Amino acid sequence: MRDDVLNKHSHRLRQPADPEGDASYTASLASAGLPPVLRASARLTNVLGRERPVILQEERITMTRTVTTIPEILTPAERSQLGATHRIHELGKVCNVTPGYERIIASGLEPSRSAAVDGLRSASRAERDFLTAVVESIDAVYGLVDRYADEAERCGRPDLSGALSRATRTGATSFLEALQVFRVLHFALWASFNYHNTVGRFDLYFWPYLEADLRAGRLDEAGALELVEEFFLSFNRDSDLYPGVQQGDNGQSLVLGGIDRDGEPVWNLLTDLSLQASLELGLIDPKINLRVSTATPLSQFVTGTRLTARGLGFPQYLNDDVVIPGLVDLGYDEQDARDYAVAACWEFIIPDSGLDVPNIAALSFPNAVDAALREHLATSSTFEVFMTRVREEVTRQANELAAETQGLMMEPSPFLSVLMTGCIERRRDASEGLRYNNYGIHGVGLSTAADSLAAIRHQVFESPDLHVDELISALDSNFEGHDDLRQHLRDDPPKMGNDDDRVDLLAADLLGTFAEALAELRNDRGGRFRAGTGSAMYYVSAAQELGATPDGRKAGEYLSANLAPSLGVKVRGPLSLLRSFTKLPLRTAINGGPVTIEVHDTVFRSANGVEKVAMLVQSFVRDGGHQLQINAINHDVLVDAQEHPELHRNLIVRVWGWSAYFVELDKAYQDQIIQRVELVPA
Amino acid sequence: MVLTAEEARQVATTGKDTLGCVLEIEEFGVHDGPGIRTVVFLKGCPLHCSWCHNPEAISFGTEMLPDQVRCAGCGERCLATGSCPSCGQPVPPHESAVGELISAEGLAARVERHASTLTASGGGVTFSGGEPMAQARFVIAAASELSPLHIAVETSGHVSPAVFRRVAGAVDLVMMDVKHTNPEVHRTYTGRTNRLILGNLKQLCEGSTPFIVRIPLIPGVNDGRDNLERTAKLVAGAPALRGVELLPYNTMAPAKYARAGRVFTPGFDTTQSPRIEPSIFERYQIPCEVL
Repeated sequence: MRDDVLNKHSHRLRQPADPEGDASYTASLASAGLPPVLRASARLTNVLGRERPVILQEERITMTRTVTTIPEILTPAERSQLGATHRIHELGKVCNVTPGYERIIASGLEPSRSAAVDGLRSASRAERDFLTAVVESIDAVYGLVDRYADEAERCGRPDLSGALSRATRTGATSFLEALQVFRVLHFALWASFNYHNTVGRFDLYFWPYLEADLRAGRLDEAGALELVEEFFLSFNRDSDLYPGVQQGDNGQSLVLGGIDRDGEPVWNLLTDLSLQASLELGLIDPKINLRVSTATPLSQFVTGTRLTARGLGFPQYLNDDVVIPGLVDLGYDEQDARDYAVAACWEFIIPDSGLDVPNIAALSFPNAVDAALREHLATSSTFEVFMTRVREEVTRQANELAAETQGLMMEPSPFLSVLMTGCIERRRDASEGLRYNNYGIHGVGLSTAADSLAAIRHQVFESPDLHVDELISALDSNFEGHDDLRQHLRDDPPKMGNDDDRVDLLAADLLGTFAEALAELRNDRGGRFRAGTGSAMYYVSAAQELGATPDGRKAGEYLSANLAPSLGVKVRGPLSLLRSFTKLPLRTAINGGPVTIEVHDTVFRSANGVEKVAMLVQSFVRDGGHQLQINAINHDVLVDAQEHPELHRNLIVRVWGWSAYFVELDKAYQDQIIQRVELVPA
Repeated sequence: MVLTAEEARQVATTGKDTLGCVLEIEEFGVHDGPGIRTVVFLKGCPLHCSWCHNPEAISFGTEMLPDQVRCAGCGERCLATGSCPSCGQPVPPHESAVGELISAEGLAARVERHASTLTASGGGVTFSGGEPMAQARFVIAAASELSPLHIAVETSGHVSPAVFRRVAGAVDLVMMDVKHTNPEVHRTYTGRTNRLILGNLKQLCEGSTPFIVRIPLIPGVNDGRDNLERTAKLVAGAPALRGVELLPYNTMAPAKYARAGRVFTPGFDTTQSPRIEPSIFERYQIPCEVL
């Protein structure tokens, strides 16, 4: 089955793409005069209606995409009209949330349908449209599962049909049924054009089903592992069709461990089976996130590190000790904060009740430093005066980015609304907002900015030999004819990643300023703004917009991804590197964005090395780090993979918040990874 | 304590103070003892093992050595000594200092930043080399400065018995190489016989400082069953023995030799893989790990 997925066997069953058909379908929706929410349910009915049921041999968790494209519900003219008056984020869809799978897996869709039908009796016009769209969407899903059930019967697989038709309606009664219902819901969300549909806390909400099966003797551990593996494989079947910046950026993150809403630890047999399944399969999806804390025993870090050693670029570690209080500070209810999951990459979001948009914008720290240096460096009498100007610039840019979020508009998502708590009761589509409507702003290039400030202090203020005009002209000429100066800027001032307060505290200052600037602001959905430490893909785009920087970086050279030393910087070692970043005010900038390190793959060759890396992760957690992702990497292998991609089809790397097959990435992303600081052991 | 002339020479190699000649301080040694460890590589070694992975650590004292650069002509990495050996293009000479004299206090100040991390993981500091016992005074002073951190030493054992006893008494773990049990074979591949080494091994076996025996497995040199069996017999039953670690030889970049101004003459077939038989030690109830 794994080979079938890797060789993309099921792709042969796909129907040909039909862009003209999609466009004319959109036009027909518009000319029918339907409101957007009813267009959304009509589209789901149309897409699922065109799906041809596929039962693959031996599979027990079914559903395979055959329709490869999803038509839009607004015509290009309508979309550009909307764009003129509203803020459209990414593709304009509700995305990057953790749906409340737990509720629907338990109850099935029928209670939601009944509630919507009941609500119709006393609904206003807008409410009626929404509730009608909900009923239509659920009926579209029923239509699909019933056709799948018929196909299963036809293929001599009556074992599948009950789970599909019954459990989808009235809830799962076994672990396998729960997995199948998840697959149905997940499948229907993608067909609704919702994307980056994250999995959430798998070992928390699936455990009761597995536990009951084990107790009743319906399933043993080996059987459970097989099911988890089959379930994980299902995430890799259609993922090439999911929208993302690069292949692999598909949002299928899964969270394990941590504590439950009442504060009790979650780690259970399903946690272990999930990690084992991921280790045995060695595939990029689902992407594993491990919630840990100071209470986590070393053995669990060792289990996690075995996955890292497999070269998967995950697990990503999330530290409850920092994240939960940070979320509470931002106004999240404590029980909800304890229940946090991650969005597509690393942004902390709340399942079921959160409609945060955690990646609405990005602030480029090097850009703020650059603006301040051009405006104010020449007139700053001391470095402290200059830093005040830099803080003002960071604050100004943060305010500007926040103001630009006004008028956010997302496409109605009636089916997703079924999976988000309170939508049917409030008779309002999830796209209009939920309990949590906070916006996250990434913070990009922190190391480059801090290194630049340290260089300015060192070269301009502490040693009198560099005049501001010379610095600016060197930057403007991209260091042409200023090789010596560039060498000094690269070699002499302290660099982030060496546990050196002279530069680390500048980074802390920048990040704290950013968080403080956003703290009092409110968005027009009543939500707050969250400062973040992630870069997303901006480490490429922000770098392209940036000229040469005072740390000696030339124009066009990449920034580091998330929190990491600037590319090419020599660091003392992993302890110093991690300490540089745990000094930051991470709790106040808790949108998400991990410290990202690359450890040479030879470290992982022995059990001893694996244990040492696990200890390193544990010490990061003890020191108050919020989030960490580790690439087991080998520079030579990456270079060879660029030259001979055919020999490295299965080489996996962590990009900015997700794992991908290296050879499927665009060259810019490949090059940036090759240039990252590689930690080689003593 | 009265030192013999040789002891005095060894203890005083780096001067009258407790200065150490340090090649490098590396965070996060993977195979250098328990927990997270900072490894202090000391410069200078009395042995000249033909397979040495750290040729820059052989000679005592700081020195200027040419840097590795990328040749502007052909793109190959080469030493900045005047011209590129691959394409003949001029490569402007450029040197940097190798080795740094550090006081015991200075070393402690550098390491102490991470003391809590080292301790919390059950780790500490490991002195390696080079031969750390050739700078015994520094190691003892530094161990005392670093107290209560866990201190380990990685040694060839080729030092006088008195120096060995003092260092072993000042640290928490000794990791000692036993490269060959035969004195003449030992001399062929390391330049010295194993007389001092086997004597010091006996001290460890009779003493109370926890120790680990390490064997760099060199194909065709010391990976034979006889040699390993004899090694096992030497240490079997020692109360302070924690185990044996086998380090299979792997090929290394000869460029390091060129930089150190040395020629790599291994004297054995570097294309072979060594035989790895931990069961030999397990038969003597000695825990054995392959690193």
